[in-house]
Amino acid sequence: MSSMSASPPVQLPSKPRDTFKIVVSTVFVVLFGWSAISVDIKWSRLLEAPADMYRLFKAMYSDIPWDELSRLIGLMWDSIAMAWIGTLIAAVFAIPLSFLAAENLVGRPIAWVTRQVFNVLRAVPEVILALLFVPMFGLSPMAGVLAIGVGSIGSLGKLFYEIIENIDSGPIEATDAVGASRLQRLRWGVIPQVAPELTSFLLYRFEINIRASSVLGVVGAGGIGGVLADTVRFKEYGVAGLALIVVIVGTIVVDTISGAIRHRIVAGRTIDIGEAQKYVVDTGGLS
Amino acid sequence: MIRFDKANVTYKGGVSAMKDLDLEIGDGEFVVIVGLSGAGKSTLIRAINGLVPLTSGGLNVNGHDVPNLNAKGRRELRSEVGMIFQGFNLVDRTTVLNNVLMGRLHQVPLWRTLIGKYPEEDIQIAAKALDRVEILDRAYVRATNLSGGQRQRVGIARALAQEPKIVLADEPVASLDPPTSHVVMKYLQQISRDLGITTIVNLHFLDLATAYADRIIGLRDGELVFDGPGSDADEQTFRDIYGRSLTADDTMAKQAAL
Ligand SMILES: Nc1ncnc2c1ncn2[C@@H]1O[C@H](COP(=O)(O)OP(=O)(O)O)[C@@H](O)[C@H]1O
Ligand SMILES: [Mg+2]
Repeated sequence: MSSMSASPPVQLPSKPRDTFKIVVSTVFVVLFGWSAISVDIKWSRLLEAPADMYRLFKAMYSDIPWDELSRLIGLMWDSIAMAWIGTLIAAVFAIPLSFLAAENLVGRPIAWVTRQVFNVLRAVPEVILALLFVPMFGLSPMAGVLAIGVGSIGSLGKLFYEIIENIDSGPIEATDAVGASRLQRLRWGVIPQVAPELTSFLLYRFEINIRASSVLGVVGAGGIGGVLADTVRFKEYGVAGLALIVVIVGTIVVDTISGAIRHRIVAGRTIDIGEAQKYVVDTGGLS
Repeated sequence: MIRFDKANVTYKGGVSAMKDLDLEIGDGEFVVIVGLSGAGKSTLIRAINGLVPLTSGGLNVNGHDVPNLNAKGRRELRSEVGMIFQGFNLVDRTTVLNNVLMGRLHQVPLWRTLIGKYPEEDIQIAAKALDRVEILDRAYVRATNLSGGQRQRVGIARALAQEPKIVLADEPVASLDPPTSHVVMKYLQQISRDLGITTIVNLHFLDLATAYADRIIGLRDGELVFDGPGSDADEQTFRDIYGRSLTADDTMAKQAAL
């Protein structure tokens, strides 16, 4: 150590200029300025915002209508259920499709076509889908569920095939070598490797979808969003304020539970098998 | 019985990894293949279960005409041939038992294998295979939690669960330390002797080869350059196979001493 610091200093090569960073930052600033001008934001209104916020807050929370609470919780529960069912519907389509989008499982042409399907689905926002489904299924949670289901296929599928493409090819080779069929190779060579991540991303998508499903009520697709929209429109700020609290608390509670489950899935379960040694055992799940 | 007839393998890039190979391996033999890296050892082993297709020539494995098999015939052949890998190729995230039960995939009805509900007889076969390599107590542990030597024993158990006529092992000890290597080689030898399984092992280290092989096959640039009992192979033989004099890298004992 001491001999290292005692030796004469060495000359580093001259530092390269990070042109890429400079270009990106410039583009960022320019785009922001340009957008701000073109959308005609009334920046002066920002100054009045704190006062407006205060008035709204007072209207909402000076006299909270607690008798509405159980109805609002019921509607939030509807929103959560819509998100869950929609996510599961998306998974039913996204999982098989993602196998068809993974280049290590199928040929390039099939993978390419499947990916384009995902890209198209991903490009359509859930609210637009809900607007299409409301006339078809009426002002009901059905429209919301389908909007979430169809809207999540693309992004789930994309995440899923990226996970599948990253798996170790060794176990697949081993299933081939024992004379397994294509389905068996999928079942034992692929799925055990991806099941924890897939389940975890499914839950994560569910958490995102709870937010989406609260919004979808605004266009009449069921759930708590409808109440929020109506009460604000009819200036029933007391109910709107309570609904907001229900949405926030409900979302946080479900996020927390879902996050804990995700953590447990990826970490696996540890058991003590009496050798002062911990083993992680099969978590079951999809595998 | 395994018989190569003027067999050739040329890969897409133009590399010729098997050149006019004529070779016969009888039932129950314990054969070790040696040669430099790139000599074509893996190619030879993988040709036997059809993982690498021949470019020309004939190959008959236990009555299967390998070059002319359809997909179903190839699965049939593979179910009779166990394979052991350098990297173990276990499914880490499932149990040791599930890994070994993969050896039963071909024998069990498809729907049962898909839901993982194997018949009791097949579970018994898997358990006996685990018992033979003395790792039965780890049956319900995830494969990730095992040491390298234990993982390779699970690899052997998976091959045994196939109740195979032939076992192929492609550098099965290359990822293991010397003592563990000997343990794994002893299991392979014991299994071959007790169950009469034809066993073909690729090895890098010469001392391991001479210690365990009944018969040594030397490959060089895709060609057979030596074929004889382990006792016939001396320094000169290995110089022929390796095309250079031997170094410490070539024997495990010397390598370990470094
Ligand atoms: N899939 C492949 N595609 C192209 N060339 C290959 C492939 N597999 C092996 N080779 C080449 O074939 C030759 C023999 O390889 P291999 O059988 O793996 O030798 P060994 O197992 O003795 O090291 C090597 O030159 C290798 O580069
Ligand atoms: Mg090799």
